[in-house]
Amino acid sequence: MRGRRSLLPVWFMLPASVAVTVFFVIPVFMTFVFSFTSMSSDTGILGNRYIVTEATIRELTERGVDADLVKRLGSRVFAFDQAGLAAVGKSGLKPPVVKEIEEKLAGAVFGSEKELFAALKSLKNRPRSFRDRKAVSKAVVNTIVNREFRTATGFRAGLASINVEVDDATFDRLLGLVNTSWSWTTKNYVELLASDFTLKILANTMFYVFFTLIFNVGFALVLALATFYMPSGQSKFFRAVWLIPRISPSVIYVMLWKWFTFDSGFMSYFLGTFGVAPENWLNEYPWTFVIFANGFVGASMGMIIFASAVLAIPRDVLHAAEVDGAYPWQQVRRVILPMMAWPILFVTSYQTLSLLTSFEYILLLTDGGPGFFTTETWALNAYHTALSNYYGNLRYGFGATLAVVLVVVGIALSLLYLRLFDFKALVAEPPIES
Amino acid sequence: MEIRLENFSKSFGPVKVIEDMDLTIGDCEMVALLGPSGCGKTTTLYAVCGIHRVTSGRIWFGDKDVTDLPPQKKNVGVVFQSFALYPHLSVFENIAFPLRIRKDGSAEIERLVKEMAGVLHMEELLDRRPGQLSGGQQQRVALARALVRQPDVLLMDEPLANLDAGLRLEMRSEIRRIQRENGCTSILVTHDQVEAMSMCDRIALMNDGKIQQIGTPDEMYQQPRNRFVAGFIGNPPISFCDGVIQDHRFVTEGLDFDLPDRFEAASITAGQKVTIGVRPEYVRPEFAVPIEGEITFVESQGREVLYDLTLAGGKVFRSIQGGGPKFKIGENVRWGIDIGATFFFDERGNRI
Ligand SMILES: Nc1ncnc2c1ncn2[C@@H]1O[C@H](COP(=O)(O)OP(=O)(O)OP(=O)(O)O)[C@@H](O)[C@H]1O
Ligand SMILES: [Mg+2]
Repeated sequence: MRGRRSLLPVWFMLPASVAVTVFFVIPVFMTFVFSFTSMSSDTGILGNRYIVTEATIRELTERGVDADLVKRLGSRVFAFDQAGLAAVGKSGLKPPVVKEIEEKLAGAVFGSEKELFAALKSLKNRPRSFRDRKAVSKAVVNTIVNREFRTATGFRAGLASINVEVDDATFDRLLGLVNTSWSWTTKNYVELLASDFTLKILANTMFYVFFTLIFNVGFALVLALATFYMPSGQSKFFRAVWLIPRISPSVIYVMLWKWFTFDSGFMSYFLGTFGVAPENWLNEYPWTFVIFANGFVGASMGMIIFASAVLAIPRDVLHAAEVDGAYPWQQVRRVILPMMAWPILFVTSYQTLSLLTSFEYILLLTDGGPGFFTTETWALNAYHTALSNYYGNLRYGFGATLAVVLVVVGIALSLLYLRLFDFKALVAEPPIES
Repeated sequence: MEIRLENFSKSFGPVKVIEDMDLTIGDCEMVALLGPSGCGKTTTLYAVCGIHRVTSGRIWFGDKDVTDLPPQKKNVGVVFQSFALYPHLSVFENIAFPLRIRKDGSAEIERLVKEMAGVLHMEELLDRRPGQLSGGQQQRVALARALVRQPDVLLMDEPLANLDAGLRLEMRSEIRRIQRENGCTSILVTHDQVEAMSMCDRIALMNDGKIQQIGTPDEMYQQPRNRFVAGFIGNPPISFCDGVIQDHRFVTEGLDFDLPDRFEAASITAGQKVTIGVRPEYVRPEFAVPIEGEITFVESQGREVLYDLTLAGGKVFRSIQGGGPKFKIGENVRWGIDIGATFFFDERGNRI
């Protein structure tokens, strides 16, 4: 019986533990690991990869590799060896053609396509069309350009296939130069510390979180208290209205903001009646609208929590305050707000954390712009760096580094807030008889 | 300051709680609102202090119409039934709250709070939060908060319900003393008729949102206006017995007696259904009109003994007698009732 009883909490915790592990611990750990790599869409996320591209070949010369060797690295060799003949067999040419090639050209090697074509033309059942000749060429060609090798031996075999033989030292040097795979590195952190953008997005993030938070929590409080002092029918209506931003799809919500603010939108039209020239207000005052759009959405959650917290205050306590002479404003300041300390702290901390990490409304509204990094926040920048940017080079490693910083800040803030909550002090001690 | 309710009615939506109540409380007087649970006592208090708006009628403080005055504008001290202390403030700050709102100086606040805490024996509790107090202690804080501002009107909703017997006795006289000293007009809501009788100048007995009778405790006891008052006031309670009038006699199974002389007039007619009420002290061996029956219940209350006497027809009369338990359960006795002290009620419960 005892054993069963003590296991019960474990079972209850199991789904949550699994969820926390799968959706939090593992991703955070992997992010931490990735932050120490140079992974990007150029390197891929798999291991060693040796590629010689046209660009590499130009680069090799610049790096002082022997020009002759470089030229040969870029060369093509057409060999009717076993593999080549097998490929010809599968290339879809007519059987007589294939048969004659097998008989006449087995073992032959050509240094260029021109020589190959000349040899083909001398056959009786020669491939007539240029396309057929190309098919043969494609079947027997050996090249290392744009071929991906996963191992050093593979790369050596590749060199052999184009008749390039190098000594071990040269080979190692070549291998290093053509390796495009990611590597372990702490450069991401160095770059983060050194980069000018870091300060910019840090400042942006602090600005954004601070003002949105004030708007969020303050507005939620105002709504909750204002609706508390209204007749109940009206208060229900107003609370429902303020829920609309929360329940409308974010894309549509943001589109409405854009429509509201753009130069022939509602705001311009409305202000136009007062003689104000139309403008793209979002471009003009991006932060204002980023904060409003996020604030209105966030306010609804705070409003619901605050409204129920106000309702949870015993009515007689407020009656007592009235009788003691307190007008609504004094009731709010001296009774209601102090009694709501816990929900206020809770909403503040919850919103801080979610504002730090959420970026969908900024993404949809300004995408970090207008211009360069104007409203780019930390989380948005992590997203841009790692998952979506103009340059097409997705820097997974550096993005992970940005994310790690976010996680660390988030955990630190959570711990701080938990301390502030100070659950022990909040739980009333049992009454003491004297 | 005199408090006057005129035709005061209060409904919550369709629910009529108080209907056409008239009540006048004289300057410096202390009146008890006594009545069973749910009869509208708290509702009346809330209307007087202005927490609830009245549905109709007028409320006067002296010659000032305060019907529509919000509670902030009246100097009314209220002890709430639920205490309604501020949970986030210390006892000191709870008591000081009305003074702080009134913007008294802090030295003055300190003095008044300390003084009040001394009167109510809570000097050592001043630093605690309400959550750390017992029910009785909380009640005293509520009392202190209501009294500290020296209100013109003091409204108390069962202020002593949570105190132990000793403390209750002490607080009764303490409240009464403070009330007299301050000269504040007071309403005390209570369930407890002993408390009502011992603390207040007059009692207003309520039932079903109406005042049944207002008077001194003695008047209520000696001259109840109706059956409800007679039944509510008095402990141990009065015994009722239904019967009919025949030939100027009260007749019921097991009991039959001549009506007293005061009914010579036409106030009572033959065949009328009547209920009599006899207080236990008027059911004793020495009284003239005989009742016979079996003793079905004996309870010794120390100085006095309580008996139930069951008549042949099943009617029960309660009796209280001094001098130790002289009778036993099952004994058949022939006692008497004092007709002069017996109340007669008509079918609607009004006294005749
Ligand atoms: N806000 C309200 N809405 C509807 N009915 C109410 C409301 N407040 C009180 N009532 C009703 O009014 C009646 C009187 O209530 P009230 O609180 O005045 O009783 P009370 O005499 O103080 O009773 P108790 O001795 O139990 O405190 C009750 O029947 C109660 O249900
Ligand atoms: Mg009540």
